[in-house]
Amino acid sequence: MVEYYQPTSLQEALKIRSENKVTPYAGGTDLMIEADENLCYLFLNKVCEMRGIYEDAEYIRIGAACTYEKILQSELVPQILKDAVSQIAAPAIRNLGTMGGNIGNGSAKADSALVCFALDAKLQLSSVSGSRLVDIDKFYLGRKKLDMAENELITEILIPKADFGRYSYFKVGARNALAISRVSFAGVLSLKDGRISNIACAFGAVADTVLRFKDLEKMFLGKTLAEASAIKQDFVSAYSQSIVPIRGRVSMEYRKAVCMNLLNEFLSQSDI
Amino acid sequence: MTMNIGGSVEKKDHAQKMSGKALYVGDYPLEGVLYGKLLHSSKARARIAEIRLPEIPEGYFVVDKNDVPGDNNVNIVKDDTPVFARETVEYIGDPILMVVGPDEAETERLLKAIEVVYEELPAVLNVRDFDTVFFEYDFGKGDIEKAFAEADKVYTEQFETGYQEQAYLETQGMIGEPQPDKMTVHGSMQCPYYVKGAVVRAMGSSPEGVQIKQDTTGGGFGGKEAFPSILACQVAVAAKKAGKPVRVIFDRREDMEFTSKRHPSLCTYKVAVKDGKITAMDIDVIFNGGAYTTLSAVVLQRGIICSSGVYKVDNLRVKGRAVKTNLVPSGAYRGFGAPQTFFAVEMIMDHIAFDLGLDPMQFKLDNAVKQGDATSTSGIYHFPVPLPEMVEKIDAASGYREKRLEYAIAQTGRYRRGVGSSMFFHGAGFTGSGERDHIKAVSKLHKYPDGSVEILVSNSDIGQGLKTTFSKIVAHELNLPYEKIIIENPDTDRVPDSGPTVASRSLMTVGELLRRAAIKLRESWVDGEDQIVEERFKEPDFLIPFYIDKFQGDAYPTYAWGVNVIEVEVDTLTGVSKILGAWGCFDVGTPVDLNVVLGQMEGGYLQGIGYASIEQMAADEKGRIRNNSFSDYIIPTSMDVPKLEVIMHVEKYPDGPYGAKGAGELPLVGAPGAYIGAMEQALRKPINKAPFSMDDTMKVLQGVKL
Repeated sequence: MVEYYQPTSLQEALKIRSENKVTPYAGGTDLMIEADENLCYLFLNKVCEMRGIYEDAEYIRIGAACTYEKILQSELVPQILKDAVSQIAAPAIRNLGTMGGNIGNGSAKADSALVCFALDAKLQLSSVSGSRLVDIDKFYLGRKKLDMAENELITEILIPKADFGRYSYFKVGARNALAISRVSFAGVLSLKDGRISNIACAFGAVADTVLRFKDLEKMFLGKTLAEASAIKQDFVSAYSQSIVPIRGRVSMEYRKAVCMNLLNEFLSQSDI
Repeated sequence: MTMNIGGSVEKKDHAQKMSGKALYVGDYPLEGVLYGKLLHSSKARARIAEIRLPEIPEGYFVVDKNDVPGDNNVNIVKDDTPVFARETVEYIGDPILMVVGPDEAETERLLKAIEVVYEELPAVLNVRDFDTVFFEYDFGKGDIEKAFAEADKVYTEQFETGYQEQAYLETQGMIGEPQPDKMTVHGSMQCPYYVKGAVVRAMGSSPEGVQIKQDTTGGGFGGKEAFPSILACQVAVAAKKAGKPVRVIFDRREDMEFTSKRHPSLCTYKVAVKDGKITAMDIDVIFNGGAYTTLSAVVLQRGIICSSGVYKVDNLRVKGRAVKTNLVPSGAYRGFGAPQTFFAVEMIMDHIAFDLGLDPMQFKLDNAVKQGDATSTSGIYHFPVPLPEMVEKIDAASGYREKRLEYAIAQTGRYRRGVGSSMFFHGAGFTGSGERDHIKAVSKLHKYPDGSVEILVSNSDIGQGLKTTFSKIVAHELNLPYEKIIIENPDTDRVPDSGPTVASRSLMTVGELLRRAAIKLRESWVDGEDQIVEERFKEPDFLIPFYIDKFQGDAYPTYAWGVNVIEVEVDTLTGVSKILGAWGCFDVGTPVDLNVVLGQMEGGYLQGIGYASIEQMAADEKGRIRNNSFSDYIIPTSMDVPKLEVIMHVEKYPDGPYGAKGAGELPLVGAPGAYIGAMEQALRKPINKAPFSMDDTMKVLQGVKL
């Protein structure tokens, strides 16, 4: 029999987390594939504080144990995230799976994590001794390496309330359902007074972590679309040099080609 | 007798399966049953220098080749497949020994503690490097040299196909139960008498000393034709040694890595064309047989007999070889060698048509055989060949001709479309004289005093609906309610040998025996009496005898026919292809239960599309198959081909029940040709391999030579 805890409040969950060696279980759609009877699981699906979606002045706050299905039904969640979530796995898994689990699993193929990168989301990490906010890109330290202490839980995903303007989300899976991403792309671009005020291009499933190059994005910041178009080639070649995919279920060359194609397409659609 | 035989009824095993009462091998109580776990070779080829065992606790056993009471060779076609590995191992997965014990975790621990010292030997991992030919056949007709000399044009191309895993829902599993006077083995299987033959031999026992029972089986697709014979021998040997029941149920990884799959192929075609017609084909077929011969001989036979496709080729030379590699033995999978060669012949016909500026479907039709024409083996197509009518039907449903012209115009933009077609047949039943010379099927009906009738045959319902269709036939002839017909999972102590559940033969051949038996019973029916009638296979009179040594005569009594059209849309940014529609027109004679037939056609067609597109499996440089889970071996879901339309055409076969012909395998056979044909039109490049992945597509789009 597997050992487990099933707390109903965050306080209780954090206490268990601090006092025991437990594996947080938020949906479990990754964990149950490699179920290990020697582990002790901390089931988070009954923790009320982690199941809601609400907004405050700055953020849309998504509970880490909130299911994908609930995210799809929410009126607060931005469409780009819904686009990504709607293509995750299949209905049965979307009824169980959560963003907290997706992010906490540490994979660069996590579709909801990719969108978090593009939207500059933050994670709320909590423990018995308090809470801290971490930028999503700081949270991922490397392949399966996370900035998360043994006594911490991801409790919320915070998405800045902003007009994300034009966006593009594209997932290449091995098939049309129940497919792990082979390459994925999320891009957002917004203009203020005719100038690019925000741009984000994130690439999933091609390297150990999601790739986003903020230095390269700066090339476009503050530019008009016409000015951006003029330096598009430089922009694209800079990405071409920076994206170094790893080989996986598809070749490096394939990943590279698709990343560049999707980036180009996003720019074209954004009139660049 | 007015019931329409094609009308659909509740499946005979519906209630049992839906209620959960049906027992699969994994459902049997575990009390008193020992767990068996196999130690598989981790080297592709090696001499076993030493096996270091941990201390084996009481009640646990290690079982290997020295424990086999009879012959350590599994009775399949030839004698090379060992029950447990001999001095050398020949592929990664070769079963070296089995650890058996009462506690599963402890059994697993012991297994992991075993150390095998291997002396590695050179291994053949690429089919192109073969040095051992398991089987080689040659046949032909006409004057091929003359035809090539006189040809307007000669085309030579090579085609390659990959593995395909059966991916049945239920993995391989078997339980051996020693009885005082015999060994009983039951489990997941297609062919109880094949298993019996193998266990009798391995146990060195009399036929009475072995009983084989099929448990409810969760899919086979050919994967449970030969492999269960191996596993049954292993559990029987283990159960004998332990003196207790032993159960082995493979986990998915073990099943995917170490059990048989479709033969990868390499086919070279040289084709002569004169005045727009095919005049000669010179065909060289190589199948990757893997480490042991298992079923390669018969798979190759069907493959090469089909290699000239549905076409009239008066001058023909065919050479077929099944070669050894140090990889998992290849085996039976729906279509049995034919999907590989049909892919090759359909592609070269497409390429020739393209070169000649002709529509491929019309070009194929113009070259197709007609009733009375000779088969590849100089037999005769005795019955009408309905391809022209089927082409019209599928064109009306799919809009093929119009789309083909439309998509031929230069396409721009992100998405490019293509539409492809294929024509094919399935030679119904066993190849050649197998039924007459080897199988000699016997079927029985047992009427009980209460008027119920039990069907006694060795064919297994593996999901394809045999219990239902057999029962319908018998009920129909006896004018009995369907509910009065009893059919259980076969038990070799109770049923005669009506042959294996393979080759799309069961309904056509055994169903006809049951029909005749039912007529016999009807004519001798006495109310209240216990009666048994028996019917034996007789070869139809019209057949031209087949000689396997010459590949001459009627290889099959009749043929099921198919025409496929597939339409795709390729995303030029990602190389992903979307199937806009898949249409299949199939002639399997009279459908004995239309729902069952439609299920077979849709499922088989989807399997074929998977084979052509996303089902990638390959051995790595060490000979290990890495695609051993469903996240690494991708099979299609219902979301991948949302529009899949099946159109039935009925050309009755007089020697099948009510005109039925073999159905099960046909729908898989033509999918690769139609899918790749569509991809070629979208990409405007010839393609010579299947599956064709998004990675491959991207290379074409980038102008990389494949």
